[in-house]
Amino acid sequence: MLRLKLALLNVLRNGRRSFITLLAIQFGVISLILMGGFFASMYEGMREGVIRSQLGHIQIYQEGFNQFGSQQPEEYLIDGEVLQKITKLVEELEQVELVTPRLNFTGLLTDGSRSLAVVVEGINPEKEALLSSAVKLTAGEDLFEEDTEGALIGDGLFKSLNLSVGASLTLMATTADGSFDARDVTVIGAISTGTREVDNRFMRMNLQHAQELMYTEGVTRLVVLLKDTKHTEEVMALLSETFKKQGLALELRSWSDLADYYHEVVNLFDGIFSIVQIIVLAIVLLGIVNTMVMAVMERTQEIGTIRAIGGTRGEVIGLFISEAFILGLIGSVLGVIFAIFLAQGITAAGIMMPTPPGSSQTYPIRIFTEADLLWKNGLYGLLIAVISSIYPAVKASRMLITQALRFA
Amino acid sequence: MAVVKLQGVSRSFPLGNKPIIALDKLDLTLEKGEFVVLKGVSGSGKSTLLNLIGAIDDPSEGEVFIHGQRLSSLSDKQKSQLRSQYIGFIFQAFNLIPVLTALENVQYPLSLQKVANGEAKDRATEALTQVGLADFINRRPNQLSGGQMQRVAIARALVTKPDIILADEPTANLDSETSKQLMDLLGSLNRKTGVTFLFATHHDFVLSRASRILELKDGHIIKDERLKNLNLVDQIPPGEKVG
Repeated sequence: MLRLKLALLNVLRNGRRSFITLLAIQFGVISLILMGGFFASMYEGMREGVIRSQLGHIQIYQEGFNQFGSQQPEEYLIDGEVLQKITKLVEELEQVELVTPRLNFTGLLTDGSRSLAVVVEGINPEKEALLSSAVKLTAGEDLFEEDTEGALIGDGLFKSLNLSVGASLTLMATTADGSFDARDVTVIGAISTGTREVDNRFMRMNLQHAQELMYTEGVTRLVVLLKDTKHTEEVMALLSETFKKQGLALELRSWSDLADYYHEVVNLFDGIFSIVQIIVLAIVLLGIVNTMVMAVMERTQEIGTIRAIGGTRGEVIGLFISEAFILGLIGSVLGVIFAIFLAQGITAAGIMMPTPPGSSQTYPIRIFTEADLLWKNGLYGLLIAVISSIYPAVKASRMLITQALRFA
Repeated sequence: MAVVKLQGVSRSFPLGNKPIIALDKLDLTLEKGEFVVLKGVSGSGKSTLLNLIGAIDDPSEGEVFIHGQRLSSLSDKQKSQLRSQYIGFIFQAFNLIPVLTALENVQYPLSLQKVANGEAKDRATEALTQVGLADFINRRPNQLSGGQMQRVAIARALVTKPDIILADEPTANLDSETSKQLMDLLGSLNRKTGVTFLFATHHDFVLSRASRILELKDGHIIKDERLKNLNLVDQIPPGEKVG
């Protein structure tokens, strides 16, 4: 108890130095929380963006589609009867918000003078409007079921073909039986998925219209939107088991399986974050080591006295580590509190970030302050303070007692 | 009963190519309850001898025994424990911990011995009362006079009930009146507790309180004079801790 009190009193002994040390710890903790919180918000924005613009949480395909579907997509369509059965089974799960079919194929879009290869998605407009909430309408109006010949054109494609709302185009594609067919489509709007590459060659049209063009009643996939992303793995397991029991030869892919770009970006930013973390912690560590070495120098005679009256080396080490622990604890707690306030302030300010590479939309800075992020970085602050004190503490404990006692 | 025993102890320090010999093949035994004054000019080896007996320095040659234990056979941790249990230090500059009160300074060696807080407080209060500072227990060192600080240091040395208290020029920073009062106190504590005192000093008035005078010159004991019998020591059964 007395030894802990001594450590606390030593922290208060040189107020200015302790204040500077606390500032260093807080700087580290705040920096890491703000950066981590910003990255977490960015990850979430990207994740929900890809889920709610393209992927949904889970996609259901005919078995073999992911291996062979790119060569023979018509062979791996889910037919109408199975489609009804799957939809019913999926909708029974309480975690599911909605399930919607999509028919995907490639085609050639022409305005008579120019032709461009496009990726076409036949959709159920009402359901897709709920699922694709991250898809932004940049021109015209949204697609509805009654717009039988209507099409939404990717923003990049819309601009590159110099299209206007109401323009009439022809879409050509290879049908399910291998022949070639074409349908007229009317541009009713332009959309942005948030990913420039997609927006440059993407279009959406009514599922029925797409099926007529493809001579099929089947769909490529069923896209499942869940009430919460955290249920993904659980629902995947449930569906997998249910389909197996029902004898349905289907494949499931989660958004995570499909979002390669998301994972690449997360890995890249995690790497950057780790480097920044190391730099910040190293700066904090050097700052604390410096102040602790000064404390050791100033208290050399006191250390000699403690050793002379029976204090072991461990006692001296323990004393300095206790002081660092107290500083680390106070600095980390204050750092976490200030970081929460700063994060809330920055988020509330609504500062817009420039458009990220590969994206077509700007976004406001949001900084998450999840409990996990707070306690982990608070702990880093505490640990770095303790680690910083080890060298000065060991140095202090190894002083020759006779020399330390002579030190004035 | 021998509290301290030195056998052929030498201590030299390197200085350039030629070592400086601070102590040269010293043999010495200090008995329980002795009040030993160590005199000698500066550089005669007084502090070196105190450091060796205090187990805070190691001899270049020879053996030091404290409480029957050969110091050269002990690890650093064991030496710390030995100092904590059997040796008390009084320093010239008092060496109190400035952020602790008088009571806490005296309590500190007990906390090193893991004595329970309540008991440590009681014993520290008792030690401070013994040195006449019962009314000053909550004062910090900077609120005490030099004499009072040295009394706190004495209480700190006494509180663990050591076999021997080593004092290196304890009156050097005090005026003559305070020094005399302090020596009276130490003499009285020596008689009451039976603890062995070993003083290094320049002050001649200290000699009159001594039961034994050792004089050092160039690392040799040139005088070892016993001045009076110590009846108190005779009354203490062998092996029993004093205090």
